[in-house]
Amino acid sequence: MILQLNHLPRKTSAASAQDIVVTLQSLLEEGHLEHEQFANLCVHLDWIQYKQNFREAVTVIPCAEEPSGGLPFFEVHVDLRQIAQGALRAEMLKAMAPANPDFGHPRAVQEERVLLEEFRPFRTSIAWRFNRLYWQRLADWEKSTGRGYEEALPGGKSDANHPQAVADGVADFWTLVRDLDVKKQLPAEIFVLEIGVGMGTRAGLWLDRFHKLDQERGTNYYPRVRFLLGDYSPATLERSKAAVRAHMDQCSFVVLDALNPMQTLSFLRHKIQHIHMTNVYDNLPDEEMARRDGRLYVVEVRAYLPAGDAERIAKEYELSARDLGRCIERLLEAGPEHFADRARGVNFWQQVWAAMRLEERLVCVDDVRAESLPGELDRSRLDEILREAPSDVRFHLNSGALESFRNTLPLLSTRGYLQVQDIFVTHWSEYQLGFHGPGKLDGSIVNWVNGLLLRETAERAGYDVHFAPFRYREGSRTSILYTTQRE
Amino acid sequence: MKLPLLPTSVVGSYSMPGWLERLKTEYFARRISRHDLDEIHDNAVKAAIKDQEAAGVDVITDGELRRDNMMDYFLERLPGVQIDRSSKKFYYDFYNCSVQGKLPMALVGVADDFRFLRSFTDHETKFCVTGPHALTKRIHNEFYPNEEALATDLARVLNLEMKELVKAGAKVIQIDEPYYSGFPDDLDWCVKVLNTLVEGVDAKIVVHICYGNRYGKPSWEGSYRYLFPRILDAKVHQLTLEFARRGGEDLDLFREFKPPFELGVGVIDVKTQAVETADMVAERVRKALEFVPAERVTVLPDCGCFHLPRDIAFAKLCAMVEGTRLVRKELGQ
Repeated sequence: MILQLNHLPRKTSAASAQDIVVTLQSLLEEGHLEHEQFANLCVHLDWIQYKQNFREAVTVIPCAEEPSGGLPFFEVHVDLRQIAQGALRAEMLKAMAPANPDFGHPRAVQEERVLLEEFRPFRTSIAWRFNRLYWQRLADWEKSTGRGYEEALPGGKSDANHPQAVADGVADFWTLVRDLDVKKQLPAEIFVLEIGVGMGTRAGLWLDRFHKLDQERGTNYYPRVRFLLGDYSPATLERSKAAVRAHMDQCSFVVLDALNPMQTLSFLRHKIQHIHMTNVYDNLPDEEMARRDGRLYVVEVRAYLPAGDAERIAKEYELSARDLGRCIERLLEAGPEHFADRARGVNFWQQVWAAMRLEERLVCVDDVRAESLPGELDRSRLDEILREAPSDVRFHLNSGALESFRNTLPLLSTRGYLQVQDIFVTHWSEYQLGFHGPGKLDGSIVNWVNGLLLRETAERAGYDVHFAPFRYREGSRTSILYTTQRE
Repeated sequence: MKLPLLPTSVVGSYSMPGWLERLKTEYFARRISRHDLDEIHDNAVKAAIKDQEAAGVDVITDGELRRDNMMDYFLERLPGVQIDRSSKKFYYDFYNCSVQGKLPMALVGVADDFRFLRSFTDHETKFCVTGPHALTKRIHNEFYPNEEALATDLARVLNLEMKELVKAGAKVIQIDEPYYSGFPDDLDWCVKVLNTLVEGVDAKIVVHICYGNRYGKPSWEGSYRYLFPRILDAKVHQLTLEFARRGGEDLDLFREFKPPFELGVGVIDVKTQAVETADMVAERVRKALEFVPAERVTVLPDCGCFHLPRDIAFAKLCAMVEGTRLVRKELGQ
């Protein structure tokens, strides 16, 4: 058995590890666990920082099939933050039941879960439909909770809107514009794009600052600025107008999909001088992979509701167990207005979302279709990138972020640059030092972004990627990604 | 070989297949031998030749598939240029290199690659040589008093090689100078260096000047106006410029300055995967003919097709050929 202490608060590490070893040893001695299973067991101890997430206190992750034909290994993940004192043995027994039908547990775990889908890569999970619904019906959610989505962020507000960060960004941009002007390479129209505009606060601050700087320096660039606010939610764009009211002549509002800005803005190919995104990548569809003993696995998921939660919700909404699934489907199709009482619909949505968990299994990459790797990332390239990674590592593929990144770079002008504020993993070792999602933030999903894969993608597209810490707020986990031209 | 009116050609590079990229990287990781890589290159070049022939291109190249990039192919062969072989991460990266003493006059050794091309096609051929100005911008100069002096000596060395290419049968040689557009203030000495380069070379000399195509994106913006009137002193036969991506506004310069050389008109945008139709190509050719007589026009893509997937590159060349045929027909050919 391998016991991996991933990222635990110092005080709890030793005691928790001891508890696990003692518990598993007793399960082995009592015959709940076969010796062969014990030998193929890998136990991970985690401390998940997201109060809301998709994990049980103890989660068993089987390997779908051992490629060599040997006994499949399985992993047990224990979230020490969730586990109640003295509950470890019971939770362990319950979670491990499907891995050993002879455990004698009164009910198979499967019967304790209402499945919402079949196993699939996370990117295509129903969880992302909930995420989409959240952004489409944000006003409903906010009305119900009485707080704006930014207040639900870990810091209580978005790092996008830090005045000094915006001012520094504007100063850098002005320097670029000036340099282009001196070299007679500044086009008549200076295009700037922000994707994922939220309330429009950052766009407003940026334009205020640029206008002021331009006036102070007498350069008269401001009238040439064409600031594009891009978002896939027309309602969000509408709401952002108030924040840029003083600059409406400079602004355009564009409905676009962050996964493929080029699709909407192809007429601006190679024309945009600066593109900014804050906390967009961490909310784009994602999946995870794991490397175990040199082999590569896709982490497939299956969303479910714990039976107790499902029963409770069904009872409250006077639904049969069968109708519960249908009702969830209609919610995702039509939104909370599917219910006669919209507020009641939002409440149903919130309860389902809060209860939803993800079962996981590992599927060897050789068994899955090549299309499960995003875009230009084929197996040989991934192997090349992973040469620098630890032999046992679970990591995010962030296929949505990669897709967005690849479809954004062609918009940049010759000297243009992309700036992304987000939560990035920039060294492989970080995956062994912390939990990087998925977590739940109110009604949305959050994942840390694999900066290593972004860097690789960028290099192939002619850009170097750099990461700088967000130094404007103490304790912030945000980093700033920015691109420079690669020779 | 008699070429048709409005002959079609390519700027140099053809689509670099993904498998060849991976094998080049394998070579750099020392997982395959130089001998194997040479054989792989031979086969890739034959395929590129066949594709150009099948598309109906009149004047073809070897697709430059042996080249990691347009700089290193020459720099690592140039006597007197010191290469830091550890400075590449990917095969297409540029080497860091320097010149620490006067460049010796010696052959560069690329004529065999031209001979290989000649031996596998009956079509008219073209060989591309990266120009001294572009090479100078990639070399860390630790010896010469200025860039012009280094470029002049590079031109003298490359002049030997161009004469060797002529001996090998080259009738058309293209000089690639994409950095002119990034450093327009250099143009005065660039033209002098260009004339040193081509002195006594008995071949049709084409100069290709674009706005860069590194990673399939432009390196600079602007107008070709900076070339005029200084470029009129260049002793070359054809100027090949990009017009598909940038539009045809600068064509007017050919009416304004009446240059003595032919025009190679770029009608295929190599920085997008959208494939032009034959009609679009025909329209771009007709536009060029408003400014330059058909007898003095060659039809090409804007730049090399290096970054395009093979099927896209092939489709674009087919569209270029078909569009040109439409115009020839209108001209009674």
